[in-house]
Amino acid sequence: MTQQELHNWRLQHETQNKYLHYHTRRHFIKQSAMGLGALALGSMLGCGTNKTTTPATDNFFDPVNPLAPRPPMFPGKAKSVIYIHMAGAPSQLELFSYKPELAKLDGQDCPPSLLEGKKFAFIRGVPKMLGPQAAFRQHGQSGLWLSDNLPHLSTVVDDIALLQAVTTDQFNHAPAQLLMHSGSARQGRPSLGSWVTYGLGTENKNLPGFVVLTSGGNNPDTGKSVWGSGFLPSVYQGVQCRGEGDPVLFIKDPDGMSRDIRKASIDAINKINEEQYKEYNDPEILSRIAQYEMAYKMQISVPEVMNINDEPAYIHEMYGTQPGEARFANNVLLARKLVERGVRFVQLFDWGWDAHGDSPENAVDVGLINKCRAVDKPITALLLDLKQRGLLDETLVIWGSEFGRTPMMENREGKTMPFKGRDHHGAAFSMWMAGGGIKGGTTYGETDEIGYNITNGKTEAFDIQATILHQLGFDHEKFTYESQGRPFRLTDVGGKVIHDILS
Amino acid sequence: MKLRLPKKALLSVAFTLVIAVIVLVIYPRQIIDFNTQVKPILNKKCIACHGGVKQQGGFSVLFREEALQKTESGKYAIVPGKPGQSEMIRRITEKDPEERMPYKHEPLSTKEIAILRNWIKQGAPWGKHWAYSPVEEQVIPVEKNDWIKNDIDRFVYRKLKEEKLQPSVLAGKAILLRRLSLDITGLPADSGIATTFLQDDSEMAYEKLTDALLASPAYGEKWTSLWMDLARYSDTKGYESDQPRKIWKYRDWLIKAFNKDKPYNDFLIEQIAGDLMPGADDDKYIATAFHRNSLNNDEGGTENEEFRTAAVMDRVNTTWTALMGTTFNCVQCHSHPYDPFKHEEYYKFMAYFNNTRDEDLPAEYPLLRHYAKDDSSKFLQVKDWLQTTANSATANWYISFLKTLQPAVNSHLCDNYTKGVLYQNNHASLDIGGSCRLPAITTTGKASMLLRYLNNKGNATLSIYIDSLKGQLLAKVPLVDTKSKWKVDMINLPPIAGIHDLWFRFETTVEKDKLPLLFDWFALAPAFPGRAGKQYTAARNNFIELVMAEPATTPVMVENTDEQKRVTYIFERGSWLSKGDEVKPDVPHIMNPLPVNAPANRLGLALWLTDKKNPLTARTMVNRLWEQLFGTGLAETLEDLGTQGVPPVHKELLDYLSWKFMHQYNWSIKKLLKEIVMSATYRQSSATTNELVQKDPSNILLARMTRIRLTGEQMRDQALAVSHLLSKKMYGESVMPYQPERIWASPYNPFQWKLSKGEDQYRRAVYTYWKRTAPYPSMINFDGGSREVCVARRIRTNTPLQALNSLNDSAYLVPARQFAINMRKADPSVKKQIETGYQKMFYQSIAPAKLKILVDLYEQAMAQYKKDKTAASAMMGDKNKPALPEDAAMAVVANAMMNLDEWVNKN
Repeated sequence: MTQQELHNWRLQHETQNKYLHYHTRRHFIKQSAMGLGALALGSMLGCGTNKTTTPATDNFFDPVNPLAPRPPMFPGKAKSVIYIHMAGAPSQLELFSYKPELAKLDGQDCPPSLLEGKKFAFIRGVPKMLGPQAAFRQHGQSGLWLSDNLPHLSTVVDDIALLQAVTTDQFNHAPAQLLMHSGSARQGRPSLGSWVTYGLGTENKNLPGFVVLTSGGNNPDTGKSVWGSGFLPSVYQGVQCRGEGDPVLFIKDPDGMSRDIRKASIDAINKINEEQYKEYNDPEILSRIAQYEMAYKMQISVPEVMNINDEPAYIHEMYGTQPGEARFANNVLLARKLVERGVRFVQLFDWGWDAHGDSPENAVDVGLINKCRAVDKPITALLLDLKQRGLLDETLVIWGSEFGRTPMMENREGKTMPFKGRDHHGAAFSMWMAGGGIKGGTTYGETDEIGYNITNGKTEAFDIQATILHQLGFDHEKFTYESQGRPFRLTDVGGKVIHDILS
Repeated sequence: MKLRLPKKALLSVAFTLVIAVIVLVIYPRQIIDFNTQVKPILNKKCIACHGGVKQQGGFSVLFREEALQKTESGKYAIVPGKPGQSEMIRRITEKDPEERMPYKHEPLSTKEIAILRNWIKQGAPWGKHWAYSPVEEQVIPVEKNDWIKNDIDRFVYRKLKEEKLQPSVLAGKAILLRRLSLDITGLPADSGIATTFLQDDSEMAYEKLTDALLASPAYGEKWTSLWMDLARYSDTKGYESDQPRKIWKYRDWLIKAFNKDKPYNDFLIEQIAGDLMPGADDDKYIATAFHRNSLNNDEGGTENEEFRTAAVMDRVNTTWTALMGTTFNCVQCHSHPYDPFKHEEYYKFMAYFNNTRDEDLPAEYPLLRHYAKDDSSKFLQVKDWLQTTANSATANWYISFLKTLQPAVNSHLCDNYTKGVLYQNNHASLDIGGSCRLPAITTTGKASMLLRYLNNKGNATLSIYIDSLKGQLLAKVPLVDTKSKWKVDMINLPPIAGIHDLWFRFETTVEKDKLPLLFDWFALAPAFPGRAGKQYTAARNNFIELVMAEPATTPVMVENTDEQKRVTYIFERGSWLSKGDEVKPDVPHIMNPLPVNAPANRLGLALWLTDKKNPLTARTMVNRLWEQLFGTGLAETLEDLGTQGVPPVHKELLDYLSWKFMHQYNWSIKKLLKEIVMSATYRQSSATTNELVQKDPSNILLARMTRIRLTGEQMRDQALAVSHLLSKKMYGESVMPYQPERIWASPYNPFQWKLSKGEDQYRRAVYTYWKRTAPYPSMINFDGGSREVCVARRIRTNTPLQALNSLNDSAYLVPARQFAINMRKADPSVKKQIETGYQKMFYQSIAPAKLKILVDLYEQAMAQYKKDKTAASAMMGDKNKPALPEDAAMAVVANAMMNLDEWVNKN
């Protein structure tokens, strides 16, 4: 089915559902079991102008079936999103940003012009410049420069669009991650994945619409707020699927309860609830019946999709996966499985990229290389695997972080660090996007010869968010939700779609 | 000559005439009401481009004086009395799409144009939105009907009559018992209260039940849960490492305040400004922790001033959202887009909050110190010494310093470092030979300096100079090696008047590679009194020991001294870095004026907030209490009573209750709640018909009671209560009941979820430890927020994750097992056991159809567990511990019963 056909199909069903809604909700529930069922009675553009007539359903949100698939504003190229975030901020100077001039300055005092009026997280006084700690080569037909830390990714550079001039005004992890994912450096706004599942619903009702997978031993610095739903209903928050323990919290029946007993107990609950409905006529009871049925189905589908044991050996080889371990490669493979099954938004966080130089793990010439080894192969495998399954065109893949790192060597509290490290740097860093209507082999934006400042193609978090929404079929300026008396959008008052990287 | 008009033209003239007549008939020149007729059109069609954010063409319809000004084109958009000369009317009726307003949008309807035209004709009067007009006493509708129980019902009944609807019958006693008990105490009624009520057939039974529940200590716990959402209460600080914060004494303060039925005005005054009240005791200080629940950013390298400012703005926003139902946040960046608040008014209001001592330091100063045991008797001794030897100013200075260690100057304010840095944006630090400056310190009347520092080097000295390193040497004092611990010294200073910079130089001859000298804070003090007294040295030593002691603490509000006062500026476009004009504390002009004699500080603000003339405070609270009981507020948008909020259908009822709350009940929440729950409106059955659901899906008209899903807190408490696991223990540190592994994983934070012991595992949910970046899963699943910012209302959802949670989470399984065991003790017959269980849960007997379904489930489970003993043991919690298959089968049944819709809802 093409995007246009899918779009029409959704519209048709939407009309049908309106009809059903006006009859009885009983019917509605039955129909929605077939995977239809948006009650898109409000407008996507609705900014709360009709409050007097529809007090309880002002926003585009139906509590009975909040995750039902919904059409976007216009046919989008991408159907689903995999967003890979390296929490801690990898150094662009050892990965994507080739700066031979910086090598020449290695070990020299940082010129005062770079320090005037600047504030750093840890650098104090005058730090030394630190040359690139990796060799760079050109790759592919596009001739993109990539460091030797990314030998696998270098084979697929013609599929990615490199954003070389990303910038942020936040230089601490937690607020910077929030800005990247929720459009605000303060807590309390919905995350990107929440916006997307709110706008589009999800295709597989037996799986959560917005799945979060973490690796690296810690949650991202802002914790669960970075996949929170802010002022959107909590149903749109990310569901964390875990490599250890229950893949989704409480998905497993209690020990000692067999599947058929669970089935029998849910049947009993629902039968009694039907009795209750006869007495009370409250449509919420029907909704609860549907949710319990769905819960039962999720108990089968979630562990099934989260189990990577049955993947063929060549896939494990390709991704570098180790079943049973909480590792990044496993999460990447899971991301592919999830979007393949219709999950709308998969968010990956890998913690441990904060290379300050305070330990070997946090050194740009030691720990960073190990981190690269752990992610380079699986990320490349993801692009190849999506491609061979014909999914890359409709899956938008984003790789990035909350900021980049300084061309200066960190001198924490004015001291020399035991290892080579770089401080937080928001002014210029690199990200890339692939698939989902992105033009591969392109570069957008440039920085100066040491990668300190942007020279053109400035790209802010809002621009990336606007582009992601655009690829999914949303005008980021019109995609709003009414809260606290005004319409909010993901991109606040900023954002422009980066048309140069679109195919 | 006969005038011949073309037929078409004639027809068109006739048509126009007909339309004109119709319009006149339908929309006669009645008096146009600005609020209900004009403002909605302006908000919907004009204000996006001509309001608080944008003023296209130099025209804004937010305030009358702005709207009547000459626009950029030189024309007047609105000429009062003269629609014909008003550019606005010309533009909304214009044919040319390039000229017609609203630009590039649907034209206004004939009706809307007629309203605007008539309104201008009538002089274009502005009106105050209802919520900004003072609350007035209401005339109670004269309605007579047997259904009516009190005046609330008269308002509701009148509206129902208008809508040609009938109220529902009263719910049965069992339903009412469970509903009322969950609403008032958050728990099912215990068997004593339940039996008394069910056996009492008198008229007074329901009222007695209400009184008993309102008097229960569980009442305070239930309403505290609500307030903790508003206060964004958390046991952690938020942001990256989300470190613990000990602020639970504030939670206990809330429980006690609710239980004592502290009048709502006092309740608010103490939380906003308890520290500034005359003779403020510890309790008043603890109340001010309300606004210390804002986030604190400990992440290395963060700008303290940025996050201090963020916290202050959060206090402003929370005050408006939680206490006055107004979206004030918008005004941070520009004038309010819809409501009459000006940009600068945000910062005038912020000025009230901008002078507290907290500075986003990891230590979270200022902290109220709770001296215990030896320290508390030492405190009394020192206090006694101070009161007997010193004048009251000095004695008070020292006593309040012991309570809060304020006024102190935090060392991060040091600058001009040589061989020293600001260590992790937190402490001034000096290396050997290093120096730094502490700017602009008032030295008048001070005789000593208290200094908290950490020094790892022996043979060290600290020299203190005035105004420069070449200035007068005030003191040269030896610093001991504190061995990585913090120490406090009291250094004598010569008397110097004025405001001066103090310079510090650190010298030592040895031990190069150790940690630098770290400063925490400095405090300039008057001379320690009673020098001539025998016990002087002992008292002074005791004082220093107390300052060095590390007792339990609670973050509280303490106001800056006059010397420390910050100036507040307007932030251009809301950015704390672009400071505009200076502003003084004031309240928005649209609101009630400040009470006479209100001081220009938080206490004055609190008095204004609780003034009976404040149009928002009582309405917001009444609306919120109503929402807790009915599931939807009288005005649905609890967080926004402004012009963009949903206008209340029962505005008169809201005002009636708000008036009574202030004037008759003297802000007693219990009295107000009692009146509401005594109404027939509240006591109605929630059973309804499809027709009524179609007509009024959100139950705005109240022709029935709304069924409401329990909150996360109620879900947990109910399960524990019905299975007799619930601990009655009140107060104290937050507890950690069962939680699945690996929910907590904050970077740079070694704290772990550690299962509480004994009954602490079964405390009410209000005591569960709350971590912002990883809240307790079943709270989040059941629509709790993460409490990073004020949660004005929880939006209820219905999801499969909730089903999985109550089906499979051990927090719910443990009570289900216990409940099964309790049921089985009741009777040998399975049927009877289930009947008893159901009776216990719902105070009424189970319908035969439902009973049969559960008995069948039991038998199906029993058949399996008889064959598989290990499974039975596992179902009972431990596969290695033999368990009866009957228990396991009944646990399956209990688990199902605790997932019934009627159990997770209030009928």
